[in-house]
This record gives sequence, C-alpha cells and structure tokens, in this order.
Amino acid sequence: MSLKKRLLMIFGPIFAAAALMLVVFLSPLWSGLNNVNPTVQRNAASSLSPLVLKGQLIKQRALENHYVPFFGSSEWSRFDPFHPSVLADKYQRSYRPFLIGARGSQSLTNFFVMQSINHQLKGKKAVFFISPQWFTPMGEDPNAFSFYYSPLQTTTWIEAETGTKMDRYAAYRLLQMPSGNSDKIISATLARIAAGLKPTSFQSFYVGVRHRILLNEDQIYSRYRIPFNNAQTIDKNMKQLPSHYNYQQFNQLAGKIGKQQTTSNNFGISNHFWNRRLKRHVKQLKDFQAGQSYVKSPEYGDFELVLSQFAKDHTNVLFIIPPVNKKWQQYTGLSQTMLKQFDQKIRYQLQSQGFNHIADLSNDGDVPYFMTDTIHPGWRGWLKIDQAVDPFLTKKVSQPHYHIDNRFYAKEWQQYQD
Amino acid sequence: MRWYIPYGNPTYFIWLALAIIPLMIGLLYGRRFRGYQTVISLFFLILTFGGPNWRTGIALVGYLAYQVILVAAYSKYRQRKASPNKGWPFVMAVILAIIPLVIVKVTPAIESGRQSIIGFLGISYITFKVVQTIMETRDGIIKAFHPVLFGQFLLFFPTISSGPIDRYRRFLADYDNVPKRADYLNLIQTGVRYVFTGFVYKFILAYIFGTVLMPGIEQRAILAHGFSWNIVAYMYVYSLDLFFDFAGYSLFAVGISYLMGIKAPMNFNQPFKSKNIKDFWNRWHMTLSFWFRDYIFMRLVFFFMKHKVFKSRVTTANVCYVINMLIMGFWHGETWFYITYGLFHGCALVINDTWLRYKKKHQDVIPHNKFTELFAIFLTFNVVCFSFLIFSGFLNTLFFGPSNF
Repeated sequence: MSLKKRLLMIFGPIFAAAALMLVVFLSPLWSGLNNVNPTVQRNAASSLSPLVLKGQLIKQRALENHYVPFFGSSEWSRFDPFHPSVLADKYQRSYRPFLIGARGSQSLTNFFVMQSINHQLKGKKAVFFISPQWFTPMGEDPNAFSFYYSPLQTTTWIEAETGTKMDRYAAYRLLQMPSGNSDKIISATLARIAAGLKPTSFQSFYVGVRHRILLNEDQIYSRYRIPFNNAQTIDKNMKQLPSHYNYQQFNQLAGKIGKQQTTSNNFGISNHFWNRRLKRHVKQLKDFQAGQSYVKSPEYGDFELVLSQFAKDHTNVLFIIPPVNKKWQQYTGLSQTMLKQFDQKIRYQLQSQGFNHIADLSNDGDVPYFMTDTIHPGWRGWLKIDQAVDPFLTKKVSQPHYHIDNRFYAKEWQQYQD
Repeated sequence: MRWYIPYGNPTYFIWLALAIIPLMIGLLYGRRFRGYQTVISLFFLILTFGGPNWRTGIALVGYLAYQVILVAAYSKYRQRKASPNKGWPFVMAVILAIIPLVIVKVTPAIESGRQSIIGFLGISYITFKVVQTIMETRDGIIKAFHPVLFGQFLLFFPTISSGPIDRYRRFLADYDNVPKRADYLNLIQTGVRYVFTGFVYKFILAYIFGTVLMPGIEQRAILAHGFSWNIVAYMYVYSLDLFFDFAGYSLFAVGISYLMGIKAPMNFNQPFKSKNIKDFWNRWHMTLSFWFRDYIFMRLVFFFMKHKVFKSRVTTANVCYVINMLIMGFWHGETWFYITYGLFHGCALVINDTWLRYKKKHQDVIPHNKFTELFAIFLTFNVVCFSFLIFSGFLNTLFFGPSNF
C-alpha cells in the first residue's frame, strides 16, 4: 500500500467526520424541525430555567400559541394559588403567561431575550414587571448578566441591527460586560456598532456563520430536559382554588392562606423565606438599607432599550410597579421619599413616551398579606396584579402611540434627581 | 493568550495537532526533528504552567534543577571506576529525591488544606521517574547519565501531568531512534485510534457519569442522612467516572506519544474484566502498579529474604503486599480514606493469594468453569468499586463533613 493511501485510510475518517459535523451544524434544513410539544411549552413557560431564557425555539412556538410573555426577574418564582400562571390555567383564560426572568435578570437581559422573539412580539401584548431593586447605583451585575447571556440572542440582534441609537447603546452596554468580550471578533463588531459604523464584511460573514451554528444547536437540543417542577407546583396550587372566580371570596382566601403562612414573624413574611433567609441575620439587617437609592442608576438607560424595542415592535405592554413590604422597609430604614422619587421618575420615563398601561402598586406595601417576603408580591399582591392583567390581556384595550425620546439614554437622565 | 490543562478542551487538541504535524512528516521521512520537538514541548509546558499558574512553573523549574543535580551526583558516584556501591549513598539519594513530593503531600494535611508552594501539576509522576532512574543506576543497568536526555525524559510533555510512567531506558531507545516507516504508520494508526477512543471515554462517558448523573445522586445521598441506596448508586457512578476520565486521559497521552514516535506504555487494559484483585492491578493504572511492584514490592521482598526477617515466603509476600499498598495509599494523600483505601487493597491482595493457594491445593473439589469465572469478575468488580467509594472521600463528607442541611 502506498504512503498516500495508508495515510488516507488513517485520516480519511477524521476529515469525513469533521465535514459531516460542519454539514450538520451549518445546514439550514434544521429550521424545518419546528414542532414543540404542548407539554414542553407548558413546562417551559413556568420553568424559569436559564436554558429556556437563553434559547429561542420554545419561546417562539409558545408565543405563537396562546402564551403571552411576562418579562421580569425573581418575582415569578413566588408561586401560590394567586400567581398569574395558576389563575390563567385554573380558569382556562384565553392567555397563558410565559414567565421570562429569574433572580438577577434585569432590563439588559430582558432586552436581549426580546431579540429572539421580536417577530412574535409584533403588534401583540406583553406584561413587564419592573423591580425597583434593579435601579441600584451600579446597575446590572456583570456576573448575573453573564449567567443569562445568550450568544444566539446577540448574533440575532447583530444581524438585524440598523445603527439606531438603541442599537448603538446596546452594543456599548454589552461591551461593558465580560460576556460582550468573550468572543474577540464579536467584541470588535460591537465596537464598530457602538461607534455608529457598519460591521466589516468579514465580521458580517463571521456573525452569520456563528448565528447559523447557534440557531441549529437551539433547533436540535433546546426541546429536551426542560424542568417540570414548577408546572407541578402550579397544578398543586390550582387545587386550592374554588371552581369559580369570585373576587371577594378570593380576597378572603388570600388573607387566610397568607395568615397561615406568616406565623413566624411580625413582618408578614412567609415562614419559608423567613426561616431560611432572614431569621439568623435579622439583627444585622436593622437599618441596613438606610442610604439605599434607586433614583440614580445606569439601569434607566438599559430600561430605555426595552422601551425602544417595544416601540419598534408596536407591542402593547402592561407595566407593573410593585411596592416594598412596608414593615420591612421601615425596619431596614429604606427611605419612603426615595421610593416615591423612583416611582415618579420611572412613571415619567414611561408616560412621556406613550407607555400608559401601568399597574402602579407602589402604595400597597402595607396591605396585609400583599407581599410574600420583603420585595415580592404574593397572595393579595398577585390577586391585585390579576385585576390589572386579566382585563388587559382578555379585553380590547386602546392601541398605544409610542414616541421614543433618545434623551432617556443620556447620563443626565440616569443620574437625574428631582 | 489562554492557558490550558492538558487535554482539557478541544482548542488544546487543535494546537496539539498543528504542532506535531511537522514532527510527523519528519518521522515519515526518516528524520526526528529533536530541536523542533524541544521547542514545541516548551510551548505546551508554558500553556500548562504559565499565565495564572506561573508559580507552579517556577516550582517545576526549581524542582527539575534539584533532581538533575541529584541524579548527576549519584551517577557520578556510581559510574566511577571501582565504585564501592555502598548502601547509604543510595538510600540518601532516594530520600532526597522523594523529599519534595513528601512535602507537597503532607502540607495540605498539616496546613488545613493549603497547597505547598513547591508543588505543581504532575510532581508525583516526575518523582517516580527520578526514583526509578536512581534505582537502576544503583543496579548498574543505567550506565551513563546525560542531563539533557534525562530532562527530555522527565519533561516529555504528553505524559507530564498524570503519566503513564515511562522507563528511562525504554524512552531513550525510542528517542534516539527513528522508527521504520511501516512501523511508524502502524503507530500513527494506533495513536489516532487511541485519541478518538479517549474522546469517547473522557468527553462522552465520563461526562455522563461524572457531570450528568453524579451531582444528583450525591445530593440525594447527602439529604438522606446516613445509609441509603443512593450511596450504592454513587459508588458505581463514581467508579465508572473515575475509570473513563483517567483511562480517557491516558489514551490521549499514549496516543499523542505514538504520533511523536515514542511508544509510551499503556495504562489500562479493560480493568473491569479482571478475575481477581491481582489481575485488576495488572490492568488498572498499570504503569503505577508496575512501578510499585518493581521498585517497592520486589525490593521489599528481596530485603526481607536477604535479612531472613520472616521464616515463610508466604508471610514475606503478605507483609510486602500490605506495606506496598499502604505506601500507595499514603502517596494518594494524607487522609484517612486514602490510607484505608491502601490498606483495603493490601488486605484484598493477601486474601486473594490465600484463596488461590487454597484453590490450587483442592483443585479436585473446587469447580472452575464459565460460571465461576463470571462470578469472579462480578465479585472483583464490586470489591473494586467499594474500594473506590472509600477512595472518593464521599463517606468522609457524608459521615464527618460539616452538616449544611
């Protein structure tokens, strides 16, 4: 056997395997494999899993079904009988919440999640939960952002970007995160976009190839191993509800359950949360939030990204502004004046640009059993949120007219204090 | 610049492939580019011991200088004409050779888990090579000392971090020669197969056992407080992960050595097919167990026989088994579970020998057939897995660990 032939026998299979792999991961044929089983959609909609957040296929199929995106962060994980997912399922509403967000996912993460479902957001409705706690002086924590960072969403956005103020600002913010620098060519591309330039033809080619590979990975793998424990929690909570919806009865039931589950402390905080997270440290936590401010933060700029994207997609959005547990707020010394300023500032940013569907619950922090812990709504809180969400999603509501004002991206606005 | 654990990720393999292609072309045409090989060795050593690991890199350089001087001095003593070949210089040389390793192994035990500053990835394996060279120099089998060749042997980068443990004379014979083209083509073919089998072992099977299955089982076992079947599940999953991870790594090291025209010895030979514990140690981490056999067990046996310490040969062998395995336990680390693991295997070898002698004596009444062989494999596998459960330290976490739950 000649040398050439022998070497071909040894290395041929390796090259064949490499070629096959390229064909598999670069093939456009995978986009035909679109079907997502309804059970998987249901599990994914409440899973709060980072994999679902970072992926694309499941969200797209679910939103084309009857799911509505509920953007936010850690509040969605507070399941009880009045959680929006439980109520929608129990009373067979025309919509089902697709919960997006978990601890540490703030405006910037939500903006990139939107990139994977822009098509599904066009002209549709959505719910967006604004946590005041996002708006800290440092803004989004780079590590939390990395945890939810999706290269697929980034390449999707780069492929669609047109050099608007929104695009340039998003590139600028991404470059401030370690995730934005994890790929050298992508980070060079971001630098050009941030500077208002088009990506070079090589960069476009590279982003295109990366995008195709990531897209295929999502098409091939994302459907599997979706956690279903939250779907089971929803089923369990549904059983505690009466068969017909009655607000008065519900309000009483919420109070009753809340009372049963907050017996360990005087703050109206659920026993579970109190015993596991607070009990041991409660002495040190006295007045620990005294200097805290949510009024000056780069988060206002990131939030403007979200608003610009909603405006671009003509999505009709209901914003929810939650309160802080009043007793806890007073114990930890969190300033009431500051919270009021935050509320006014965020409402101004919303309303002056035409975002008028707002459920502002910021004054309900002292309603008994409204909050399940320090900052997250539960029982009566969820019920009040449902009073806004249900009619917004099931009835005809006025079409919004958005007019985005780029000044909200400016440092002046981020640092503005009345 | 990025830094790599050897064979840790796909990028490392791409670098590796690119670096050895010129070497392979040379070997195919009857040339070994030794200068080039030194340069790429240096490059890969820097990938592993540079950057954030630069301190271990300095430790490695210091360690190497120390050992080269030590072996040079002992060789000078031994290779003089009419060298007296006394016992004490030899014992001194061995002690000096293992002192750095002892310090590295003892430091975490007495400094509550802190790593010694003179440690680096693979110090054990280099120490084994040094000790073996000293012993063969004493025996007069190694007749000349070349500091540069000795350095090449110690620092041969494909095997530096976790073996296999090669032998000086065997390595040198390969390094000094160029294999015939037909032989080298066979080496390439086998090497490529090893590397790809290694991919299956390390990146698929070890991933399934170690990363997919193990954490859940571990958590359930801890939450169960005390004994639960999860511990048994953990035992098997841990054992399989240990095997596929280490065997996969060894296949990479041997496969890459083959591609470089060096026939590094194999480290695993289907160990879970062993019919008894002795058979197991002939198939599991072979270069380590052979090293222990040749340089500890055999030397002990000779020493005891020469000084007539024990009357019977059986007792001599049994004592040597236990000491041998205990030393291996201590080598793994100064914790109760490593030492128990060594003791367990020492006793298992003694029991095994006793049984085999008994069986030989009563051949006529003890059956031997396919079924008993299968049973022997099953029994050996479970004994071995149990020893790995001890080795894993999981029982320590379970029974003596801080209670977080």
